[in-house]
Amino acid sequence: MKTVDIKVAGKPVQAREGETVIHALWAAGMAESVKTGCVGGVCGACTITVRFPDGRPGRTDLACLCTAEEGMEVFPCPVDPVPSVAPQASPNAGKLRTAYPTLDRCTKCGSCTSACPMSIPVMDSVLRMQSDQLSVVAEDFTTCIHCGLCRFVCEDRVQPHNMGMWVRRSIGASLGPLKEAVVAVEPEQVEREWKYLLEGNPTERINHARQFRNSGGIEE
Amino acid sequence: MDWASDSLKKLEATREERLLQEPPTLSDADADKLLQEFHPDYLGMERNVRVGPNADTCKFPHELADLLESDSHLPQNFEPSVDIETDVLILGGGGAGASAALALEESGLTVHLATKLRLGDSNTVMAEGGIQASLGVDDSSRRHFADAYVGGHGKNDSDLLRVLCENSADTIRWLGKLGCTLDCNEDGTFRLRSGGGTSVPRVLACKDYTGLEIMRVLKDAVLLSNTQTLQEHAAVELLDDGAGQVTGAVLWDRNKGNLVTVSARAVILATGGSGQLRLQGFPTSNHLGATGDGLVLAYRQGCKLLHGESYQYHPSGTAYPEALVGQLVTESIRSTGAQVVNAEGERFIGEMTFRDVLAAAIIREVAEKRGAQTPTHRAGVWLDTPLIDIINGEGTLRRQFPGIVHRFERYQIDPAKQPILIYPTLHYQNGGIQVDRDGCTEAKGLWAAGEVTGGLHGTNRLMGNSLLDITVFGRRAALSAQNDLPPRRPVTLTCLKKSREQFKNISDRREVLSPQLFPTQAGMKVAFELQKAEEPSATGFNSSGPSTYEPPDPFSK
Repeated sequence: MKTVDIKVAGKPVQAREGETVIHALWAAGMAESVKTGCVGGVCGACTITVRFPDGRPGRTDLACLCTAEEGMEVFPCPVDPVPSVAPQASPNAGKLRTAYPTLDRCTKCGSCTSACPMSIPVMDSVLRMQSDQLSVVAEDFTTCIHCGLCRFVCEDRVQPHNMGMWVRRSIGASLGPLKEAVVAVEPEQVEREWKYLLEGNPTERINHARQFRNSGGIEE
Repeated sequence: MDWASDSLKKLEATREERLLQEPPTLSDADADKLLQEFHPDYLGMERNVRVGPNADTCKFPHELADLLESDSHLPQNFEPSVDIETDVLILGGGGAGASAALALEESGLTVHLATKLRLGDSNTVMAEGGIQASLGVDDSSRRHFADAYVGGHGKNDSDLLRVLCENSADTIRWLGKLGCTLDCNEDGTFRLRSGGGTSVPRVLACKDYTGLEIMRVLKDAVLLSNTQTLQEHAAVELLDDGAGQVTGAVLWDRNKGNLVTVSARAVILATGGSGQLRLQGFPTSNHLGATGDGLVLAYRQGCKLLHGESYQYHPSGTAYPEALVGQLVTESIRSTGAQVVNAEGERFIGEMTFRDVLAAAIIREVAEKRGAQTPTHRAGVWLDTPLIDIINGEGTLRRQFPGIVHRFERYQIDPAKQPILIYPTLHYQNGGIQVDRDGCTEAKGLWAAGEVTGGLHGTNRLMGNSLLDITVFGRRAALSAQNDLPPRRPVTLTCLKKSREQFKNISDRREVLSPQLFPTQAGMKVAFELQKAEEPSATGFNSSGPSTYEPPDPFSK
């Protein structure tokens, strides 16, 4: 298999073409050099920055998604967590501003958007937070993995992903009980159904369960 | 994917015909035969364990059997002396551990949660498809039970399964109160999808990021609670009082490199599964830490394991590109219309059958040379994802499955236009520690919840029942521990010493140490000093924990 030479934190690493930075580090006995969690792009532990030899702009990424390319330079970029603020009922921009006072410091530089490995329109969403379009914000942050890169690159100490979480949890918790389609069933019938499923020898029980799946009830 | 152009042409040629086709059906007897011949669980790659509570009575995969017969990382001369005293010690920072911590929030007890990686780095966060709850028309807890019982081959512990099914609606409400957002229909009811083996639509989801949604909310809530989190603290041994009660644990602080002895009145094991043992060389969909640590720890305390031989191979693991091998493609994508098709463009099984049967069928197709070969020497069958937009309208796939789109886009594969190559991936540990309906293990003072336990799912789990498992049983175990909190007892290594005596009698034991903690492939070291570190050691890039420095906030008065 073809190999490529990359550098991780200045150290040379040989990687198989097409494999991720994480797997290259494992093979090189350097697993500890990038913090790792899920190895599947959703926990946000393995944040890195990447530089390319051919003049393409460097970027932030997740080491578990980033495939090794010839000459690539990788720098571990761990992002420390910061304490979050408890969600509130009936959220609005005012309450968000109180929870996260740096909201209005955004200078619209767009760094957060380009740093996001999940392609969330982070900066636009921060502007939506300012103008109280919180339900759109909640949607924007659906795919947020809380890697913290948007906060890490913000020179104005705006905390987009923390605010995104605050908005999502606040809205989610304010929805109240959702409509449920369950039809009320007489307790005697419920007990009869449980008895039907739970009693008898193993063959009878699995046959009863098979049969119950057909109609959702006891077939006479 | 030029390498597959021939096969893809065949697939496209049959697409129109397949759209109208009823899925192939399989009799129960044929399904059994398929499992016997092709499912990895049935190939005899297992053996008896010669020590402990399951000695010579049931089989385990070789990889797990080796660990159950292995010595501890703790040096022979290590003597525990208490560093932290707590009421409840939760081991594991995934969904079950976090649910347990939140259930104890009002208890007034001191709670510590220790996790080998960071809080939330778990299989929970990687779950895609959803969580089952019997909230639909024509559905009930009994129907949910019947589906899971048939899916689990009737090997399920009925008592546990009934508890799971009866608590689903309540659990969804609990998650709602915490601020979890699950997808809804326009009329304000939850959107319910089918899963493999559900007889009615019963799976709630947040796009294809359901585990992420649940885990990040649980994590946020735990960090805002009174729970003391010990992140990057791996449990290396449980402690006991010498009279059958578990009394704490020895943790390895991965950053300072020292051991921390915790005395607890109750220990809740929520350490998850073991996909990273990579049984039979299968790839896995699991996170870095899924190495079956809790099985080993509880086993040394005399806890029996149930169905230790049973694993779930998720039918739709990615087989191409190489960087994504083993990663999950959610089952809901099949319930939304994607068909499973071999290299000849033929459907060979109903996509919505039980996971073990579908996985076996895919393995058969590849074994009998009806799979597509990748340039990286792997093989798989096609998941015809473009059908989703054809059936449900353009943009459906992107809207409902942004995770899959995001992951493949990087490799210039648009799942709305091109099919995805799949092959089964090691996904879930069906078996585990035997527990009762309150999460009590056979050892006093020790509770367990989530993937580390066995019995609930029988020998094959249905989609959406593990997120329900962790949230139902994580909380139940915590409440049971709170109600039956034993008095504090001394910490000793009596059980470990007994195990070590037994190990001596086995001559051909593999010289590995357990719990394994990290995948073998990762080559990560387990090293600690017996001296207590007084100062944090010098930290490099891999340092952890929040830094204490915060620049002043210009807006604060």
